[in-house]
Formats: sequence, C-alpha cells, structure tokens
Amino acid sequence: MSLIRIALAGEGGQGVQSVAEILAEAAYNNNQQALYIPNFGLEQRGGVSIAFIQFSDVRIGAPKFHKADVVVALSERAVSRTSVYSGPETLFVYDSGFKVSPDELPREAKKIIGIPAIETANKELHPRVFNIIIMGAVIGLTKVVSFEAAKDALESKLAYKFEKNPSLRELNFKALEIGKQMGEKALQEGGAQNA
Amino acid sequence: MPRIIGNPKKSFVTGNETAAWACLVAGADMMFGYPITPQNEIMHYWTRLAPKHGRGFLQTEDELSAGFTVCGSVQCGKKAFTATAGPGNVLMQEPFGMAEAMRLPLLAIIQQRGGPSSGTVVYSQQEVTLTTFGGNGEGMRIVYSTASHQEIYDYTIKGFNVAWKYRFPVFILGDGYQAKMREPLEMYDPEDRGIEMIKPYPLIGLEGKISAGREPQHLCNIYSLEEELYEVVMKVAAEYEALEDTIVEYDEKYCNDADIIIVSHGVVSRAADDAVKALRAQGIKAGYFRPITLRPYPRKQLRAAIAKSGAKKLLIAESAYGQLDRLTKQEIFGENVKIENLFKPGVGIIDYDIISKVKSVL
Repeated sequence: MSLIRIALAGEGGQGVQSVAEILAEAAYNNNQQALYIPNFGLEQRGGVSIAFIQFSDVRIGAPKFHKADVVVALSERAVSRTSVYSGPETLFVYDSGFKVSPDELPREAKKIIGIPAIETANKELHPRVFNIIIMGAVIGLTKVVSFEAAKDALESKLAYKFEKNPSLRELNFKALEIGKQMGEKALQEGGAQNA
Repeated sequence: MPRIIGNPKKSFVTGNETAAWACLVAGADMMFGYPITPQNEIMHYWTRLAPKHGRGFLQTEDELSAGFTVCGSVQCGKKAFTATAGPGNVLMQEPFGMAEAMRLPLLAIIQQRGGPSSGTVVYSQQEVTLTTFGGNGEGMRIVYSTASHQEIYDYTIKGFNVAWKYRFPVFILGDGYQAKMREPLEMYDPEDRGIEMIKPYPLIGLEGKISAGREPQHLCNIYSLEEELYEVVMKVAAEYEALEDTIVEYDEKYCNDADIIIVSHGVVSRAADDAVKALRAQGIKAGYFRPITLRPYPRKQLRAAIAKSGAKKLLIAESAYGQLDRLTKQEIFGENVKIENLFKPGVGIIDYDIISKVKSVL
C-alpha cells in the first residue's frame, strides 16, 4: 500500500480524534505503518478539531501534509475549515444533510461525496454512533484497514463500554458496516458530484 | 535494576509517553517539572508510572525552581530530570547555566513550541539557539535532536548515561509534533541491549576529608576572581572539545555525488529523507545530512560530505527563521558552498516543500 493521507474534522465531542486513533491503531495492529497527530492549537478550544492520519507500508515522513487523499468533514463548519486540505486527487466527504453553499465546498477535489451519515445514525441506529459510520465510510473509501481489523480495534478501544452494555457492541459494528457500505457505494456511483 | 519492560514490547504511543517510559527504564529517580504544552503528558505519564516503581515527582512553583531542584537532586546522587518547552525553556536557562558551571548531570527533555514568547502551543524548531547556546555561558551542553519516537526512547536512555559519565547537561530536543503524534515504538530494558546504566553517585557529602584521602569537589557557580573563572571556563572548554569526537552523531545519505546537500534536523529530517529519495528518482542528485547532535555539531562530518560530493550548494531546511542556518554556518565557516534556505518558523515542512525549493535553486 502506498501512502494514504486522511484528514478528519469536526466539532469537539464528535469523536473525531477517537475515530482517528482507532483507525491508526487498527493499521498498526496489522503491522502497517501508521502515524496520527491531532491538531491541538488554541483554535481547538471552541474551534474545529482536526485529526491527521497517514498509513503506509514504509516509514512515514512528515507528521502533517498539505493535501489529503481523503478529507472527511463531520460538521458544517468543518467543511470550509478543511477545504484547504483538498487537492485535485482528494475525495472530499461530508454529510449530505449539511446546509453548505457551493462556494464553501473545496475548489479542488477529485470527487465531492455527500453521505447520509447523520440521518442514518439518528433514524436507524443511535446518534452516538455517527462517528463510527464515518469510520466505516473511510474504510469503504480507502481500504486503509480491513473490516476485521477495524472491528478488533473498536473492540479493544471500547471493551469497557461493551462489557457494561453488550448491545453497544452490536450497535457499533452495525454502524461500521453501514458506513463501509456507504463509502463503497459512493465510490461505485462515481460520487455525488464532481468539483 | 529490575527489568521493567521484560520482552521488547511494541506499542503505538505518543512521544511524550515514550519519553516518560524511557526515563523510567533508564532508572530515573525523580522528575521535577512545571506544566507547559506540549510536554505536559511527560509529567502526566511519569506521575502514573513513578509511584508503581518507587520513583518520585514534584511539581514546583515554576520552571526556575524545577531546574534548580534538578540541580540539587543530582548533587545528592539522584538521577533527576525535567521537561519543558517554549517560555519554560527560557526560564530554565538560569538553572541550565548552573548545571554547566558546576558540571551537573542534568537531563532535560525539550518539546519545542512556537515562539517568540507564548507563541503557539503547537510546534516549531525555534528553541535550537536557546537549547544549544542559551544562558550566560559558552554552550557546554550536549543536545540530541530526535526525529522519531524510537529516537526519543533511545537517546533519552543514552542521554542519562552521557550526562552521568561526562557531567555535561544533556538535552533531548523534540518538538510538539513528536510530543503529540502517535507512531510505532519498540520499548526495551537497556540491559537487554547490552546498555549498562551508570549508577548515579552523590557529588556532595562524600566520605573522607579533603586533603586527607580525597580531592575537593569544587562545585562552584561563582568566583571572586576573574582569573579563577577564566581558568575554569578554559578547562571546561578543553574537556568539552576533547569529547566532541566521542559524542558527535549524525546521519548522512546520498552525499557521495550530490550536487546539493539538504541539511535538516529533528522531525524535518524525515521530510528531507523523503524529498531526497523523490529527487533522486527524478534524476536530481540531492544529498541528505542530518546533525543528530546539534551540540557538539558534526562539523568535520559535514565538511567531509561537502568535500567528497563536490556539492555546490547546501539547502538548510528548518521550522525556524535561521537557527540551524546560523549554527551550521558558524561550524563550517570557510567552505566554498552556496547556502540556500527554507525557513518556515513555527510550521511543519513536508517533502513537497523541500522538493520545490531544490528545483527552484538548482
């Protein structure tokens, strides 16, 4: 696998950093090289939270990057905040329920993809697993880690919660599966729209 | 010393966590510190680990105090350390100067943040001048600039031994990116790699009587006479210079036939490494030189790399406005080579930046 760079962005509390950490750990546990760094500047206090993750077969160089292969914006504000990371080769993913004007979307992108993650989480699952749907979507779009590896990483990260409430396990795995299908479908369909 | 890690253990951790573990396996007795981002988690992890292993921690009232308590603790024979960043590093220059003056085996981990002043809490390479030559002395320090978690681990272990063997203050110079990012690390007990940790020893309260069986220690940071100070500084400088060949570390790649050599340190050298490989693939003869010790600087080795390659240019790339540049220029003064620069103070540098710069100057 050649280098894959992903930027995840959202509001504090949406679980952006948790998803990034779980994805990076899943890759690491599968003997891939992975590097994850959160942004932790002052803008994070009340601002958009961004996670930079890279996956590769060989040692990863600089911890951050200018353009990502995949950008996922988990909130309306995150869309304009992250468009700077979108280049001609970038898959730019956001929630199709967001009210964003066309000029807030990145000028450059290989493909701009809207997925109904929030609606699906709210109606079919639980609002809390919105971020896990997103995690699944990243896997569906990039195959950076296998579905099984992602499940294992989720299991180890959330073991203490699953122990208390076993139904959460099923809920999270289902969200992951749905997200993965959304990602795969978006790729096959040629995307919602081209930039 | 009891083994802590046991079988070498792979983990996916932050640089701060790495530093705390390294201090633990190196046998550090005590940390003194004061919180400042981005090094806070060194303290956090240390305070979790220390009680389980009989080690100590004290949060002092500020960085001045943290530095001086390390100075006091090592004199009592305790393997003590501190960690700081940015304005904290500025405040600690006073005690770091004392460590230079009294030849104290102090170890400090610096996770550089943006400056000047409070700057950013994020990242930079702007504490190079401060860490190498800060204080009102002559920079008699040993500074390792790390580029990965494995190096933070390895050089922290090594740093304690270098400090206690040669009695110069040792600095592990990281940065906010290395502090906060997660990447793979292999942890081990030093003994399992054939590294014998030097046991700390007291510098005061020694057995015996001066003039009757033992020499005086002369732990002194103030002198009455100018000539006295002169004599001491000259002696220390001579000892420091005599150690240079033993201490100096560097990394060099593709310099045999390079037209341009990229000089970088710390985390930026990772981007330089990628950039050189990409440039070579495009037929551009780029070389890579990385000082691992910024003090003492591998000047003979860089001069040799310039000589053997016949490179006409150096490109100095750093996340600061010319701190590595100044350091390098003073060390290789007189070399007939044009020096280009890529200065990005307080922000990261990626391979693309270096590749573009090289193409623009060749």
